[in-house]
Amino acid sequence: MAVQAIWSGTISFSLVAIPVQLVKAAEPGRVSFRMLHSKDYSPLVRRMFCPEEDKMVPPDEIIRGYEIAPDKYILITDEELESVSPERSRTIEIVEFIDMKEVDSIYYDHPYYLVPSKGGEKSYRLLVEVMRRTNKAGLAKFVLGEREYLVAVKSTEGALALITLHYSEEILPDEDISPKEGKIEAEEKSSIKKNIKKMITDFNPEKYADGRRKKIMDLLKKKAKEKAPVEAPEVEKKEGEGPADLIAALEESMRKVKKNR
Amino acid sequence: MTRKVVEIAGRRLSLSNLEKDLYPSYGFTKAHILEYYRRIAKFILPHLKDRALTLKRYPEGVEKDFFFEKRCPSHHPSWAKTAEVRRDNGERMTVCLVNDLETLIWVENLASLELHVPLARASSPETPDSMVFDLDPGDQANVLNCARVALILRDLLSNLRLTSYAKTSGKKGLHLYVPLNRKETTFENTKKFSKAVAGIMQKNYPDLVTARMPKEYRKAKVFINWSQNDSSKTMICVYSLRAREKPTVSFPLEWKELKDLARQDDPEKLQVMHSEAVSRAEKQGDLFREVLVKKQKLPHL
Repeated sequence: MAVQAIWSGTISFSLVAIPVQLVKAAEPGRVSFRMLHSKDYSPLVRRMFCPEEDKMVPPDEIIRGYEIAPDKYILITDEELESVSPERSRTIEIVEFIDMKEVDSIYYDHPYYLVPSKGGEKSYRLLVEVMRRTNKAGLAKFVLGEREYLVAVKSTEGALALITLHYSEEILPDEDISPKEGKIEAEEKSSIKKNIKKMITDFNPEKYADGRRKKIMDLLKKKAKEKAPVEAPEVEKKEGEGPADLIAALEESMRKVKKNR
Repeated sequence: MTRKVVEIAGRRLSLSNLEKDLYPSYGFTKAHILEYYRRIAKFILPHLKDRALTLKRYPEGVEKDFFFEKRCPSHHPSWAKTAEVRRDNGERMTVCLVNDLETLIWVENLASLELHVPLARASSPETPDSMVFDLDPGDQANVLNCARVALILRDLLSNLRLTSYAKTSGKKGLHLYVPLNRKETTFENTKKFSKAVAGIMQKNYPDLVTARMPKEYRKAKVFINWSQNDSSKTMICVYSLRAREKPTVSFPLEWKELKDLARQDDPEKLQVMHSEAVSRAEKQGDLFREVLVKKQKLPHL
């Protein structure tokens, strides 16, 4: 299966530049459901609602505010946001090499693969091999979507993986988590050590699966066999459709027109 | 070929074949056409101004072949204003801007009986100054059906605080204009809005209206052509002559008049001829003036 590239460019350090594409390395296994109207199975849409006026708010009346205190906001426009957004990266420029062991896994955000583009295969293989041998990872700044990420590029099973890392300011402090009080007896320590030792094995991720996801999927399969799916009412002639607020306003206006005729 | 040299605003123009009858079954020569446009000039010029003109030329008259010309003919007089526009395929093209009487007369001397212009000005080709509903009757429907649809549309839009203006197409249909005149408006806006309106109309008046282009859907119905709201499309300019058997005009009508005419069962009463057009315009002024200046915002987009 060809994986959809989400970015393409080059990865470089010093004088090496390798054309690559970025693809996802993991897909969150969440089962997602559509919300339907129980009466006729129409798929529902989210709309913005103003509790003050007790009505839906059309998109052109919606703006952004940053809450600095309860009910106090700093307004910010799309243009202002755009003006501070970084430009799309064309290269992943490795600025430092580090020992991957030094990176606490708490910092790991999302995993991706880097796939060599045409003409880059040889230098790609070389980089994978050198990184594997030295057990080093490259650090780079990289803009994906509208955000600038700190990323680690490391070798994994003959390929390059790119892992977006959390910035240190995003990591929540753990001072309050580890209890300060209480002495630990040597005996207790060794007993725990022994127990851990007994349970040591190789990391075999295939052994584990998302149990709830599997159960839901099995349930869905069973239900699909037992009973035909419900159908949403046919929305005829998509060509007459439009933004929900506009359609609602036109329907309302049409009611008045018909009443006065 | 006979020629006559005239001077307009200090500019010399050589007019050709003035005696040629371009509406032969009615009897209307090129001299008549030039005279019509000279008299209607003060009303039509504001609506042509700064818009890329598409010429529709009938060199052998309305009963013979015509051709569209989007490019300004290369032999145009040096004083005729032109603009550079980009076509859909990215190609650049020089177009005529009819901003004064002398250019209008020059263009008419080319037998461009019909004057078609985009909904945007040449300097801002992606900004429509109005949204249009082109009401086109299918077989077994006529301009009276269009009038009914136009009156419903007017009320429908007026509830959304949008004022609209109607003109005859000069052929079988009616055109309804919603002035916008805001630089923020895009064709995407007008298209989305007009399409939604056409959809609602079709849904509520299925026997009267269709929002679908294919001919089989249009039988005995009025096709609300919303797709004219596009930078690549043009509309017949208000006050332009039409190339029918008779020299009819695309002419603005007051809503009250349209309402009265819709009640009488005579589609011909909804046609405005050249001479009537001149006398009515002189008497009542430009009923389409607001289309050029009134600022309105399309809500709920």
